[in-house]
Amino acid sequence: MTSGQSKGTLALTGLVLIAMFVAIWMVFQYVPNERVMGPVQRIFYFHVPAAMITFLSVFLLMASSITYLWTRNKRWDRISLASTEIGLMFCTLVLITGPIWAKAAWGVWWTWEARLTTTLILWLLLAGCLMVRGYAQNQDLGARLASVLGIIAALDVVIVYKAVHWWRGQHPIVFKSGEKNPLAPEMYTTFMYCIGVFMALFLLMMILRVAVLSLEERTQALAERRTGELS
Amino acid sequence: MTGAGFFRAAGVLAAKDLSIEWRTREGLSAMVLFSLIVLVVFSFAFDLATIKQLGPARLVPGILWTTLAFAGVVGFTRSFQVEARRDSMTALLLAPVDRGALFAGKSLSNLVQLLLLEVVVVPLSAIFFGYDLFAILWPMSVVVFLHTFGLAEMGTLLGAVAAKVGRGEALLSTLLFPVTMPLFISAVKCTNAVLDGKELSSVSNWLLIAVGFDLLFLFVGLLTFEYVVEE
Amino acid sequence: MMNDHPSNPDPVRPAIQVESLSRRFGSRAAVNAVTVDIASGISTALFGPNGAGKTTLLRLLSSALRPTSGQIRIAGKSYQDNPREIRRMIGVISHNSYLYDDLPCLANLEFFGKLYGLPNPRQRAEELLDEMELSERAQDPAGTLSRGMTQRLSIARSLVHDPEVVFLDEPFSGLDPHAASVLRTTIGRLRERRRTVVMVTHNIPLGLKLSDRWLLMNRGRLVDQGGSAGQDPERFQEIHFRKEVAS
Repeated sequence: MTSGQSKGTLALTGLVLIAMFVAIWMVFQYVPNERVMGPVQRIFYFHVPAAMITFLSVFLLMASSITYLWTRNKRWDRISLASTEIGLMFCTLVLITGPIWAKAAWGVWWTWEARLTTTLILWLLLAGCLMVRGYAQNQDLGARLASVLGIIAALDVVIVYKAVHWWRGQHPIVFKSGEKNPLAPEMYTTFMYCIGVFMALFLLMMILRVAVLSLEERTQALAERRTGELS
Repeated sequence: MTGAGFFRAAGVLAAKDLSIEWRTREGLSAMVLFSLIVLVVFSFAFDLATIKQLGPARLVPGILWTTLAFAGVVGFTRSFQVEARRDSMTALLLAPVDRGALFAGKSLSNLVQLLLLEVVVVPLSAIFFGYDLFAILWPMSVVVFLHTFGLAEMGTLLGAVAAKVGRGEALLSTLLFPVTMPLFISAVKCTNAVLDGKELSSVSNWLLIAVGFDLLFLFVGLLTFEYVVEE
Repeated sequence: MMNDHPSNPDPVRPAIQVESLSRRFGSRAAVNAVTVDIASGISTALFGPNGAGKTTLLRLLSSALRPTSGQIRIAGKSYQDNPREIRRMIGVISHNSYLYDDLPCLANLEFFGKLYGLPNPRQRAEELLDEMELSERAQDPAGTLSRGMTQRLSIARSLVHDPEVVFLDEPFSGLDPHAASVLRTTIGRLRERRRTVVMVTHNIPLGLKLSDRWLLMNRGRLVDQGGSAGQDPERFQEIHFRKEVAS
């Protein structure tokens, strides 16, 4: 990373930090209580953006996996690994915030509802991608196998969603296309703001993780060259 | 003179695998025995009153497909152990055949072995849990075939991944079961409908999921197998 | 018997052209920018200390390994453009037998014959078993053979399609005297029939005897090459492996 780049990253970090505090203030102070669900509904302002980021990561995972297999450029594999990790993290957040809301709204921690189930399976698929990287004897092999698994996971999640949706469905749908916006204006603003903040957070994490991965590779290369010279 | 064509190469490879299986009967006998044990374990897991109360239509689909999926893992793993023993996988890769043909051949032999297993296990489930298989033979065969197809191709692709990193059944199971989840749900739904004496058209949604899964991942497997097996 | 085999219609003798070929494992370059022409119709021995990258180079040449960068052309064709055509021309003899232990000897050879698209795989398999003096074991599973016999069957397997170019990776390691003499005869016959032979070996006397030219690798690079005729193995070892002896 050049100094110009790191300055930019630092600025983005500060920006995201401030924006995050603003988001917390908006969620807990600015937005009114939802009439039916009460305060617990506020978790949506984190839950839904986290879910969006998760699926964005999966999309990025698929795109970067295909590109890596096509070009064999390590840069794409770094993006693919970073999207797997970040996706897994946000997926975990979704799986934590979902049940908290479900306990208050439906009275149970877990329900085999379509999106929740899909998210759980997605979590397992992403974990599989990371696991195979860990088992692989060398990085190239890990990158290749994880790319194939990434493509499978991304395509599979579409079918999983369709299947689970037919199997069971009781997820609250807040926005329906063609319907009048049911949210209060403050709610809508907060919601959109939170999505924006999460996007920025995602971008920041992506940049940092990819930079760290490329530094790791350079360090390893230097270490190996050093061992080679010593022997 | 550039070696056997696609379908011929796939056929030759599948015939070789089946010939080894015919001589040793190691894989299939292990799968049959394993399935038998799982079926028996399941019948102990539910007491007799529960089995009677639920009836075969609600009990058998889950038991049957869980059994087949686990037994399949045994077979898929063995399919690549055969190639690893004397590194004959390298010889296959050195041969002038398309890598996709290797995937097709391996999938075909796995499919045939699973179907042979099912010829034993499905009637066994009819005997153990008391339903009339002959009355539903045709729709049952369609359902079993469509879902076994997807299981075999995905088991082959992910079996190659697990073999490549030198891990066996444990890794394959953790990769295979999440990915085949939509197939599994569909298999259970369709088998349930068939056992209830319904027409196949009542589950056309699910059959569509199964066929979609089969075709999509056949395509993905043909394209990506190369990246899994190459060095 | 092998000369009039029908699967040999191509009169063009392949030569191997290697251009700045590299293969990295992680950041370590096992083969580093190797450029070399290997003449057609002769036998070339590839020497070098442990970890020099000989086996990696051989695996790259046979396409068992994908290069990180660089070009390989065999008979003017590259793996990228004509993978199947090139693979049809090459055979590999390795210390792994590449055989199926549970399959009879004959069935093993027949399987590979079919995979290579031979017109009469059965007949070809029988021919080769006869040549390797394994006919009486034709119906026995390959796993029941002794080590030497297995090696002979493995040689037969790699020659099933009568390749133009034969790669041998440490072929003499762990062979019993009989199998070693069969292998020497096989290599001799390949040379008589003007096949291109590339052989990686630790055994310098045998390597020099069975080759026309030699290549020397060290640390992933090609460091020297020359003609094998008249080379004294002991002096050769002294000159080219001095550093290794010292360390």
